[in-house]
Amino acid sequence: MAKDEKWGIANIYSSFNNTIITITDITGAETICQWSGGRVVRADRQEASPFAAMEAANRAADDAKEKGYVGLHIKVRAPGGNGPRSPGPGAQATIRALARAGIRIGKIEDITPISHDGTGRPGGKRGRRV
Amino acid sequence: MPTTEYLKIPQDRVGVLIGTNGETRQKIENITETILDIDGEEGTVIVSPSENMEDPLGVWKTNHIVKAIGRGFNPETALKLNEDDIYLEIIKLNLYVGKSKKALARQKGRIIGKDGRTREIIISIAEVDMAVYGKTIAFIGEIENVMVAKEAIEMILNGSQHKSVYSFLEAKQNDRKMKEFKSIAGIDDDKIEFRDDLDN
Repeated sequence: MAKDEKWGIANIYSSFNNTIITITDITGAETICQWSGGRVVRADRQEASPFAAMEAANRAADDAKEKGYVGLHIKVRAPGGNGPRSPGPGAQATIRALARAGIRIGKIEDITPISHDGTGRPGGKRGRRV
Repeated sequence: MPTTEYLKIPQDRVGVLIGTNGETRQKIENITETILDIDGEEGTVIVSPSENMEDPLGVWKTNHIVKAIGRGFNPETALKLNEDDIYLEIIKLNLYVGKSKKALARQKGRIIGKDGRTREIIISIAEVDMAVYGKTIAFIGEIENVMVAKEAIEMILNGSQHKSVYSFLEAKQNDRKMKEFKSIAGIDDDKIEFRDDLDN
């Protein structure tokens, strides 16, 4: 890695309802741009779709390139905690779209918060009654 | 510059991952362009990229493939995960049945069914691949089908009768057929519509 190359971090939060991409600088404290599935599509139920994620990733990549970033480290995150622990459908699409948009991909890390004990799952003893 | 990943699989699945004379391992390495470093005694697997790997997701995918093999899939099924829209989903049974071994065995029996009938029905109607192994149930398939299968399993685990699970699966199958038909006929109501006020 040459010294003058600027690298950042792409934080990808991928649930079954949306995909949120936040690109920060390498410290993670300074946000460069933020895009989500909901910002690019009209219908609510398409927010989590891979297409929405791809579109959002393309725009995020444009914004990042404009600011001079050549590469991004990836941090993928599912809802975690009580919810699902595997990333939704948008995660893979996002990373692929970022790579295709000409951004170099560094480390890929899963940062889903997983509790060692945590709070109980919703539903109670007799389950969810509909 | 993607880096290595570490994971652990059960000891009795290590043999499956390596295969006869290392065939399976060789195959996985060739297809995904990674290098697998397997410790046979501990069951630890280190996935590192080979030098000429182009796919930025290669290591991530291989990680899932190895995990799927560790969760009871045979290597051919697990290699389906190399495609883009195929997902792996793992349900941990002890979140639903607690620590009791008897309850675990009973629920696994309910999921598999007599002579594996329930499992067959779930696999054929939801069009997923399914593995019941140890304390987990794992699915491989397209994301919507996997979600349907997962919901069916959750219904069984929460005490639904098999009958109602089957009718749930059939209803979902009809939905899917309807969707396919609509997309063929061109009256696709699921078209992705992008916002036009994006540039401000």
